[in-house]
Amino acid sequence: MRRALSILAHSVAIFVPVFLVATFVTFALRALSGLSPASLQLGESATPEAIAQIERQWGLDRPFLTQYLDWFGDMVTGDLGKSWYNGADISRLLVEGAAISLSVAGLALLIGVVFGFGFGVLAALRRTTWVDRAITGFMTFISVMPSFVVGIALVGVFAVGLGWFPSAGYSPAERGLGTWLAHITLPAIALSFDTVSDVARQLRAGLVAAYRENYVTGAVVRGLGPRRIFFRHVLRNGVGPALAVLGLKFPNLLGGAVVTEAIFGMAGFGQFAANSAQRGDVPAVQGVLVVSVVLVVVFNLIVNVVLARVAPASARGV
Amino acid sequence: MIRRVLRLTTGRIAFGILAAIAFLAAFGPLLAPYDPLEGTTDILANPSGAHPLGTDYLGRDVLSRLLDGSRVSVLGAVQVALLALVVGVVPGILSVYFGRAFEWVTLRLADTLIALPFLVFAVAVTALLGNGIPQAMFVVGVMVSPLFYRVARAATLSVARSQYVEAAIVAGASVGWVVRRHVWVKVLPPIAVALANTTGVGFVVVSSLTFLGIGVQPPAPTWGGVLAADLGYLSFQPWAPLVPTALIMATVWACNLLADAIRDVTGEAGRALLNTRKLDPGKVTNGSPVAP
Repeated sequence: MRRALSILAHSVAIFVPVFLVATFVTFALRALSGLSPASLQLGESATPEAIAQIERQWGLDRPFLTQYLDWFGDMVTGDLGKSWYNGADISRLLVEGAAISLSVAGLALLIGVVFGFGFGVLAALRRTTWVDRAITGFMTFISVMPSFVVGIALVGVFAVGLGWFPSAGYSPAERGLGTWLAHITLPAIALSFDTVSDVARQLRAGLVAAYRENYVTGAVVRGLGPRRIFFRHVLRNGVGPALAVLGLKFPNLLGGAVVTEAIFGMAGFGQFAANSAQRGDVPAVQGVLVVSVVLVVVFNLIVNVVLARVAPASARGV
Repeated sequence: MIRRVLRLTTGRIAFGILAAIAFLAAFGPLLAPYDPLEGTTDILANPSGAHPLGTDYLGRDVLSRLLDGSRVSVLGAVQVALLALVVGVVPGILSVYFGRAFEWVTLRLADTLIALPFLVFAVAVTALLGNGIPQAMFVVGVMVSPLFYRVARAATLSVARSQYVEAAIVAGASVGWVVRRHVWVKVLPPIAVALANTTGVGFVVVSSLTFLGIGVQPPAPTWGGVLAADLGYLSFQPWAPLVPTALIMATVWACNLLADAIRDVTGEAGRALLNTRKLDPGKVTNGSPVAP
């Protein structure tokens, strides 16, 4: 327990700077883009006085650092400000979008873990046979498929062709788990390919390397059964890289939402970010980015703690 | 190094595909039989002698659009990779020599860029900065640069601690001389591998962005944009996405293949430092920090 806490502290020490830098860059986006709520509300023909007045209303005439500290303070308490576009509370809009994106990303993660581990373990157990080669080849193949290509293929075959799944839209879980699953299955599959292939390849490599270790030979010589050798000796020592990859994949699952949500017409995080950005609604974009950074940081903390428990050697590196 | 890569079958295949793609990028716009922007009344036509790949929902010739869009799609990926190279490698080498403060700052910056949800940031920042190709290339290039940073840094660290470099320093060599003379040689092979990998990654990202209409706006043709147009008419033309998909996948695959081939001929040094796309049973490697 104390070790887990010290790992947690260590990881927090790594991720606090990450969080600070990322949020600062996010905030600086407004200054970098030179956008102002006035251009959204008044259009092209606005007079300088009208622009100045609107900017004063939004507090944009204050010094940069004051604005930043204000914004940061509000953000920490969960207030992400109001949209320039329609004045709506961004935190509330994001909660709706997050439910959609997290359902899809969560299911994609689940698919990635189940199939990635399944294929990886199978390839490692049947190493150097045709099963291994077939799995390896298939993983290489799906790793070069961009998620929008997979998404289009899935829509073409399973939604338009066979009609098994709805081709677009989202239905909340409260309105029935079946329809909810039906709506998020195809996007989640499209999103998961990259994770499946990377986890499977890292896991296979890790397990095969572990099988070569002397302690495994020793266990075989001592007469231990293959099942026990696999779970006690090989899996624990070989799973590290695969788990580490999983930690790196989560940002991609969240970020990939932009593409899959566009294909499947879901009003999640990614669509919200893309639409707001194209409208020039800076606070809304900043809100999405901040929330996604928080999610990524939290997820990485969890992975680091799990990793430290399963494979203590990894704690030294982080 | 190129000659040794070409001696491998995988290297030859990769070079062949990439040469064909480069040819498309260079001459594609000239080869296009029709104006890629001009619509006709002949909409959503099936492939025929006049339109080998059919026409899209505005009656535009799909082959012409693909040919014309190849330059933007390919050049975009190359620009991304080169920008990432410059932004990543220089601080990567300097982080070993410039003192702990610089090292700490650049490491945290690299951590941050890796932790960001890549595509959301790319889309949001590009659109906010003005939604053009230069903005998109800049944002994506900076976001994939940590790969180069890590590769260059790892290679430099391994050289900096070797005995012959210590001997050179003891003998009075300056840091600049050591970097030019010893470090550069060691850093080059892993960077070549990373360059091939990032070109593939950059290609996927650029196609994803153009698919979303970010960076290059319709009606300007791109491979991703053609795919996006196909999506709405899948029930009429279910075969339509096949050709742009094949183009994108072949390019990415060739980039990865090339990375593997370079890694194979440059040997263990490059292999230990990088995420291996190929399965190498003897080595456990870290995952790629960048992937779309």
